[in-house]
Amino acid sequence: MSVKTIVIDDERLARNELRKLLQEFKEIDIIDEAANAQEGLEKIEQHQPDLIFLDIQMPGKTGFDLLAELVRAPRVIFTTAYDEYALKAFEVNALDYLLKPIEPKRLSEAIQKLSADDNRETYGFSNGSGDRQGSLLTENDQVFVKDGERCWFVKLNEIRLFESVGNYAKVFFAANKPLILKSLNALEERLDEKVFFRANRKHIINLRWIEKIEPYFNGGLLLELKGGEKIEVSRRQTVKFKEMMSL
Amino acid sequence: MFTFRFMIRNISKYWLCQIGGWSTYIIVYTFFFLTLRTQEQPYFYKVLFLDAFLGVIVTHIMRNVIRKLGFLRLPLEQQIVYIFLTTIGFSFLFAFSSIFVEDFLNFTSEQFKQYTMINKTMRASFGCFLFLLIWNLIYFTYHYVVKSRQEQLDKIRLQSLVKELELKTIKSHINPHFIFNALNSIRALVDENPERARQAITELSNILRSSMQAEKLETAPLERELNIVKDYLALEYIRFEDRLNVEYDIDEDTLNQPVPPMMLQTLVENAIKHGISKLVNGGIIKITSDFTQDFHELIVENTGRMNGDFNPDGFGLHSTKNRLMLMYGDKATFKITNEGNDRVKAVVTMPATIIL
Repeated sequence: MSVKTIVIDDERLARNELRKLLQEFKEIDIIDEAANAQEGLEKIEQHQPDLIFLDIQMPGKTGFDLLAELVRAPRVIFTTAYDEYALKAFEVNALDYLLKPIEPKRLSEAIQKLSADDNRETYGFSNGSGDRQGSLLTENDQVFVKDGERCWFVKLNEIRLFESVGNYAKVFFAANKPLILKSLNALEERLDEKVFFRANRKHIINLRWIEKIEPYFNGGLLLELKGGEKIEVSRRQTVKFKEMMSL
Repeated sequence: MFTFRFMIRNISKYWLCQIGGWSTYIIVYTFFFLTLRTQEQPYFYKVLFLDAFLGVIVTHIMRNVIRKLGFLRLPLEQQIVYIFLTTIGFSFLFAFSSIFVEDFLNFTSEQFKQYTMINKTMRASFGCFLFLLIWNLIYFTYHYVVKSRQEQLDKIRLQSLVKELELKTIKSHINPHFIFNALNSIRALVDENPERARQAITELSNILRSSMQAEKLETAPLERELNIVKDYLALEYIRFEDRLNVEYDIDEDTLNQPVPPMMLQTLVENAIKHGISKLVNGGIIKITSDFTQDFHELIVENTGRMNGDFNPDGFGLHSTKNRLMLMYGDKATFKITNEGNDRVKAVVTMPATIIL
């Protein structure tokens, strides 16, 4: 059981301090570190870590910006010195965070909480990383979604629908539908086609959220999702949809 | 003599005005009576004194009514309406009472005796109305002026209180983000470089102590402020390492110049927060202090660029402007501008102080 971890902080001393604190935790395996958001992005894409420790205020992009650019967000523990803006964001969005200088007890609680969450769900850190050779996102992967002041970590299985809006995609989950800066085509490439289905030019739906299926004009279909959204399936995709469903 | 003065002092302004006003009434009437008299008026003096006496009583009752009903607290438009209504009402009362008493004491001249009571009252009311109107105008105007002056005074007092409070919070303002980051760096240094860690603790305590003392000071010599900034930048250097470069260009003669405490520190903190900390490769901070003509000029420059959404009225800069204004009025200026593409320059000019 080792957790691949990357530490992202613009201060060398802060990274060192965190490394030192993390020596206590045998399961945490620090594979790399980054001194700014851009470097962090590259290292995350390269190593596909299970966990990152992320500072918010960094030169160039902030920690939030970094997350919003990731396709798949790893587990995140935010670290910050006293920063009113970040603290407000954490409170509003119920994100887990550590205040620098980090208290060892709080650090240990945060790490325990991570593994507790993992035990409750069916996948763990280690077998999770096994699936991550490819770039395909699984249902249990989470994405970070930021919309103005608000942000969320969303599990893919909670997402009902992606809707294309120009260069953005609108993400439907629970009662929220924020925008993310990703095109529908880029998303489709990354999503598991067994679960996420391209219904038409503008929509990708989560098959597990279908409530009702009705025939529609021109031999197409009309799907109603559990959230109440009605999505038309184009004729070409209907053939594919029926094929998938009959299997 | 003493008792007389004591009495004078104890008589309220209201009664002084009453006595003064009605005495004037008597004097003016006597004057016209003596100079312009056209016909015999046997009861003139008796009637005159009686009217003045009744005038005092009636207006005093009127004043009590006005106070009881709180007319003075009403908005101006309503006050004007009520002045007229009370004046009309009381002029009837005034006229009636004077006619009644005159009749009773038999002061009425022969020619008026033929008229009825009502007729006489109506005639007299006109004259009474004028006097009471003048009385009321003086009364209401006086209170209006006093009230608005009081309001103005309260407003000024409130403003200065707000300023004082603002100044206090501004002075004690050291960014908590900085303090906790510094503490975090120091904790890491304890293992890596214990000597530097000890030094850093001293620097941090100097800054904290200075910021607390700043609350008590009106001004501080530049040298003291410069030492705080040097400690501050030394601590930030631990954080930013090679990303932070500092240059000083200080005219030694300016070291004794008084400056607002913690102002330079605020400017440098801003330069770090909005400049250096945003740049992946860091940059330079340059502090300049010099005389230009009769002014003492403090300049803080940093690598970076203010962009559109950067708010120049942000807490630090806004407070700098305010403090300079409070201390020097419009003799001091504060400007912050982009210089070229990658430099921000903050300039404070204050009147130079001659130190003997």
